[in-house]
This record gives sequence, C-alpha cells and structure tokens, in this order.
Amino acid sequence: MNIIRTSAGASPVSITLSLALLAGLYLFPRFVQSPYALHIMILIFLSVIMGEAWNVIGGYTGQYSVGHAAYFGAGAYTTMILLQYKQINPWYGALVGIAVALVVSLIIGSICFRLRGPYFVLASIAVAEIMRLCAMNLKDLTNGAEGILITEIPPLKFGETVITDFLTKVPFYYIGLTIAIVTILVTWWMQNSKLGYYFQAIREDQDAAHSLGISLSLFKSTALAISAVFTSLAGSFYAIYIGFIDPPTVLALDISVQIVLICIIGGIGTIWGPVVGSLVLVPLSEALRSNLIAQGIFKMGLASEESGVGIFLKEHLSHAHALIYGILVVVVILFMPDGVLGWAKKLAAKKGKG
Amino acid sequence: MTVFLQSLISGILIGGVYALIGIGLTIIFGVMRVINFAHGDLLMIGMYMTYTLFTLLGIDPFVSIAITIPLMFLFGAFLQKVFINRMLGALPQNQILLTIGLGLIMSNTMMLAYTSDYKILTTDYSSSSFNIAGISISTPLAISFLITAAMTAMLYWFLLKTDTGQAIRATAQDREAAQLMGINVKWMSILAFGMGSALAGTAGALISPTYYIFPQIGSTFTLKAFVITVLGGMGSIVGATIGGVIIGVAESMSAVYISSGWKDVVVFVLFLLVLLFKPAGLMGKSRM
Amino acid sequence: MTPILEIKHVSKFFGGLAANSDVSFSMDEGMIMGLIGPNGAGKTTLFNCITGYYPPSKGDVLFKGQRLNGLQPDRVCRLGMVRTWQKVRPLTKLSVVDNVMVGALCRTNSLKVARELAMEQLKVVRMDHKADFIAGGLPIGERKKLEVARALATQPTLLLLDEVMGGLNPAESDEIIQLILDIKKAGTITQMVIEHDMKAIMRISDRIVVLNSGEKLAEGTPAEIVSNPEVVRAYLGDFHA
Repeated sequence: MNIIRTSAGASPVSITLSLALLAGLYLFPRFVQSPYALHIMILIFLSVIMGEAWNVIGGYTGQYSVGHAAYFGAGAYTTMILLQYKQINPWYGALVGIAVALVVSLIIGSICFRLRGPYFVLASIAVAEIMRLCAMNLKDLTNGAEGILITEIPPLKFGETVITDFLTKVPFYYIGLTIAIVTILVTWWMQNSKLGYYFQAIREDQDAAHSLGISLSLFKSTALAISAVFTSLAGSFYAIYIGFIDPPTVLALDISVQIVLICIIGGIGTIWGPVVGSLVLVPLSEALRSNLIAQGIFKMGLASEESGVGIFLKEHLSHAHALIYGILVVVVILFMPDGVLGWAKKLAAKKGKG
Repeated sequence: MTVFLQSLISGILIGGVYALIGIGLTIIFGVMRVINFAHGDLLMIGMYMTYTLFTLLGIDPFVSIAITIPLMFLFGAFLQKVFINRMLGALPQNQILLTIGLGLIMSNTMMLAYTSDYKILTTDYSSSSFNIAGISISTPLAISFLITAAMTAMLYWFLLKTDTGQAIRATAQDREAAQLMGINVKWMSILAFGMGSALAGTAGALISPTYYIFPQIGSTFTLKAFVITVLGGMGSIVGATIGGVIIGVAESMSAVYISSGWKDVVVFVLFLLVLLFKPAGLMGKSRM
Repeated sequence: MTPILEIKHVSKFFGGLAANSDVSFSMDEGMIMGLIGPNGAGKTTLFNCITGYYPPSKGDVLFKGQRLNGLQPDRVCRLGMVRTWQKVRPLTKLSVVDNVMVGALCRTNSLKVARELAMEQLKVVRMDHKADFIAGGLPIGERKKLEVARALATQPTLLLLDEVMGGLNPAESDEIIQLILDIKKAGTITQMVIEHDMKAIMRISDRIVVLNSGEKLAEGTPAEIVSNPEVVRAYLGDFHA
C-alpha cells in the first residue's frame, strides 16, 4: 500500500473553483427569495460549523466527545439569559457565551483527558447530561423546562444607520455563511500548522506523541478549546435565529450524536468531511420532516396515498429522521468507516487503476 | 429515622433491578470489550414486549419474563451475529458509534410502532404496598427484587459451576488464551450479547409496572448502566451487583433529601468522581 | 565531568512484583551502553522509568545532573532524552516525512524548518526517497528506521533504543549497527541500547549492563561481561554466537 500523499498546497484550478463557489453562495439570496430555501441553507451552515468544530477535537485529535451539546447549550443559554435578564445584545452575548464555553471546556478537559478511549466518551456524555439537568432544575436562571423565548432582536446599527433589523432570513444567511467559512478557514489553518501535526500525532499514538515532546494536556485542551469556541458560536447563532431554546433542544444527547454523525458520515479528520455530511444529513432530515419523501413515494406510484402503507408513511415519516440517522450511522460505520468522502476517494482510486 | 430507612430500602429494591442492567452490560464488556450504547434501548424493548404481552394477552408482567428472556436472548444474539461481530477488532470509538446507531434504530422503530405516548402498565398490585416494622414497601418493587435476586443467584451458579459459564469467564479474562484452549470465542460473544440483552430486557420487564413506558426511556438507563458498571469495575459481575445497589440507594436518598430533579445529577457526579479517582472501579480489573 | 545519566538505586514495583530492583549505574557522554538480559529482566521497565512514562518507585534518575523523577515524558524529551519503542509506534496515517516532522517540531515552530530537519534525518537513515509514503504501509525494517529518524529529529543528547533490531534480517540489522556507530562518531549523542542480538551488542557497546529478574547482575566492558561466570550461567543458550 504505497499511497503517495499530495502536499498541502492547492492547485490554481481548485482555488478558482472555490472562489466561484464562494461568490455563488454570497449571491444566492439575490436570486433565491424563498424563505424556506434560505432556511435550509442556514441549517446547512449551522451543521457545517458544528461539524468542523467537532472535527478539531474528534477527527484530528482523536478524542471522540459525544457531549458537545455542552458547548452548544452553553452558547445558546448564555446568549438568551443575557438578553432576557440584562437586555444585552445577543451578538455580544454570543461572545460571552464563547467565554463560558471556554471555561466549560477547561473543566471538562481537566476531568476527561486523563481517560482513554471509551471512558472519555462516557465522561463527555455525563458532563453534558449534568449541564442539561442543571438547566432543567435551575429554574430561576433558565426557566427550566419552559425554555427561553425572545420576541425581538435589537437591530444592527452602524452609528445611526440601521444595517438590518433581522426581520427576514437574509441577514442570518450571511452571518451563518460567514461563520461557516471562518470555521473552515480555521480548520484549514490548523491542519497546516504545528498544531495540526501535534493533534494528529496524539490521535495516532498518544504515548509516542508524549515521548516526542508533545504535552498531551496542553494540546488536547487547545483542541477542545478551539472546538468549544465554534460549537458555542453555533449554539448562540441557533438561539438567536430560532428565537426559542429549552434543555431538550440545545443540551440533549441527540445534539451531541448529530454532531458526531455529521463528521462520521462525511469523513472524519478531513476539512470537507463535515461539509459533505451536512449536505447529506440536512436535506435528508428536512425532506423527511416536511413529508417530501412521502410525497415523492406517492407520486412515483410506489404506494397509494389512501392505502394503509400510505397513511402510515404520511403520518410517521416526518418523525423518522432519527431512525434514518441511526440507519445511516450503522451503514457508514460498517461499510464506509472513512465516511462518504473516504469511500468516494477509494472509488476514484479504483477507477483510476481499472 | 423511618424516612432514612424507607429511602434506603426503596433504594436497595430498585438497586436490584439496576444490578441486573449493570450485570448485562458488564458481561458484554467483559467478554467482547464492547461498550454497548444500546443497552438501555434493549431494556426499553423488554418493557414494550412486556406491555404488549400484558395488553394483548393479559399475561402478568412478572410471569411474562419467561417469554421475554428467551426472546431478548435471541434478539441479542441476532444483533451480535449480524452487526457487532463485524466490529470486534475496530476502534472502541467506532464500536460505540455502531451501538449508538443501533440504539437509535431501536428506539425510533418502537416510536413508529407504538408512538411516543407514555404508556402505563397497571396491574392490580401496581400501587399496593405492605408494611414491615413501620416501613412501607412497594409490592411490585419487592417482587422485582426477589426475582432479581433469584436470577442473579442463578447467573452466579451458571458462571461458576457450569462448563459454558466457565468458558465465558475464561474468554472474558483472556480471549486469546481461551481460544487456544479450544473455546469457541465466537459463540462466547454471541452468548454474552444474548445474555446481556436478556438481562436488560428482563430489567425492563420488572420495572414496567412502576415506570412510564416510552421509546426514549432507553438513554437514561444506558447512562445509568454505565455508571453502575464503571463504579463496580468494567467486567466484574460482583462489582455490577454492588454498583447497582449503591446507585439505587444514592438515587433514592437524593430524591428524598435533595429533590427528584437533582437525583440524576448526583448519579452523574458520582460517575465522574469514580472516573477521576478510581477508574478501575470498586472491583478493579476485568475479572468476572 | 558529570555523567550524562545516573541511575541511582532505582526500583519499580507493580503491586507485589519488583520489575526493577535497586539498579544503579551511570553513563558518560558520547558512550554507547548496552543493556541486556533475558525477557522480563526489566530492561524496558527501566527505559520507562528513565523517560518518565512512569516514575520509579524508589531511587533517582539524574540527567545531566538534574533529577528527573516524576517529570512528564514530553518534558524529558525537550530536555534532550528520547527513546524508541520495542513495538514500533509509527503514526500510521501520516506520511514518513510527517512522522519525522512531528519529532522535529519539538525544536521549532516552523513547518518549513521542521520539514528540512526531517528530510536531513531521513537521508541519514536512507529513507528520504520514501518521504511521502504513508507510514502505515511500510515494512517492519523501514518502520524501525523511521522511528530512529523521528527520534533523532528531536535533537537529543541521549538516545535510548529499545530492541531496535528486533524482527530485522541481517542486512537490515547491519544497517542499524552502522547507524548507531555513525551516531557515536558524530559525537553529540550518547546512546543506550537494549538488544538481544549479542553479536551486535558486542560490536557497538563501550560498556554493558546485565539485568536479571529486575536486578543488576553485572556491569563492565564487553570482554568482561562475556567472561563473567554468573552472566554465562544465567544466559547459557541466550548467546547467539
């Protein structure tokens, strides 16, 4: 198996393509007015941010946290609490949220990093659950199970001019897109820096890395901190965009599992993996939720809308997205452990030889 | 004083069921080194099986475990043979993800089949209790405890006295050595997962008269099961037994002396403390 | 001149088992020390204690006069001591040059400089032509050379080699022996070598320490060791002539 690895530089072709894609994405809202399409794109951006963020600690450093909801929720709750009780502009609140998430990551790191493999996974889950339960029980702070609802977001002003009052989805689209791009750039920068080398060394063989001068606690904590910052940002953004949060929506195990899924399905430890994963998961889950798939099945004549199967599909397929997630995980883990990207690469390599 | 004794006894009674869950998980880990994240969902399936047998055929939940045990055993064996077996050599992280995926499939299939409405299984004795020395003991819990004790005793006998049981323990201790001695370790894995599932399912059956039944109940129990097994020492059945009782008591006391909202936090904090200070658990390394 | 390494009454217990028991010796700069003994004698345990993988239960490890006990392995490496592993530990998904760069990054923050340093070391072990190959695909002989290159990239003053010739064919072993001798000739790196290949140990060592059941059985020049009746009695049959 002599696979020559290409160097880190990008070819002029791919740079031009990327720029074209970028331009296309920024111009998208000018040509597409449908709020629903914008909503889907925003969800994809959110998913990319969360996936890229997790990848730093999970894919590159090899520490599979299944408790990233802790940072997502930290960002969401900090932003909402500050807005509700102190009327602090939520975008500033998001910055505070990042600080909170950093502290949480330091605490979690100090507890969990001395644990290996599966124990680390379990500890990360336990911490996130503790946070969720705290959010449920500390009703004075978080409204408990009722959650926090915001009714209006202060407009974004530059001096006296209003840039946007956040009444449409368009500003959210641009903010989401920009954060997603920043997250990808940070990941790219990290991968091609000393940090990237050290993170991967830790993933490949922790003890060997340690013996080569790499401080495990320092670098694992750094990876987790970077990851926490962007996950928290995603949480704050989600809270402001949707306008309502409660413990099950932002601190549940579901969120943590979804985040891991995005990377597993796309391809762990790669820059584009989470993007691919998002492009698969978000449309799929939305298509299920909005009964698009059921409609498709009826239109194709595979089942009649009136039949028992038809009624069952119509009623239940919208709730089935978690089931599909589960099936996807099992299929990918068993047959495509390097994710869709890895599988596509292998396919391309085979075709090249054949 | 009675409040203290009351919560202690309730804790021990529920601890018996927890022990059953923990033992199942620890057997799976001990023999296969797999962290089964779908364990709570197996319990959930046991609950629904019991519920269905009760509502459709009128079979009392405690009686129906005679049916639930073999069915869950077969289900576990099936899961092992078809899915888990392929991952025995893989990274533990990937194994966990596989079981998470299987758990998601299980819980969501049940949701499609039964809806997420909370179901209640009420028998004549669901809310009855009896008195011993001024302490009120819930009848269904008491019966569960007796059944758990009986099953645990049978399990100990099986593992200590029978050839198959000893083969399982040998595989748990040293898989390669066991194989060299002629033990069919593939069968041992199937047996282990089958037994683990049967125990989880039985635990589900035993608590079905006293808990709400809904598809998502699995995840709470999975986490609890891990706390129990880590506390007791992954791979140790004695440890899981003790761990189950400790967690049951801790929960019961927290519910009484702090509040029922915080009792789970206490359990998780205990978990983190164990991971930090004695990650090998009470019983230490993997000796079954 | 302070010895570069001093092992003073080092013992390491695992439960009731004494893996190392009151081991003492010292090493001068620039020398090659051979560390031999049957399997289970405690050689790798001693390496682990020296490099900080775990601290000794008793006794002291002094490196250039500084007490090391309890220092983390990464600190030990930055102080100038590096080891290779009995069972090779390549960073399998990374390329050959990336592997060595991880070592080089111990001394620089620049990827460019690290790559240059890495290529230098790969030239020394004659693997520069395979710089972009994925480490996981290498055969055992090259994995061992890679591990040595990676260790050398950390610019150590003390290099600990743990059975670096294990599993190699005679040609590969000769290459490693020559490498060890060349390192000594360059004069900047002291070496301690655990080895079972007695011919090799005799060729390269200035002095030899013999461990048996955790204790130091003997110490001396190769000639002294070979004619030491206790050593001969303990290892008759362990000598590959």
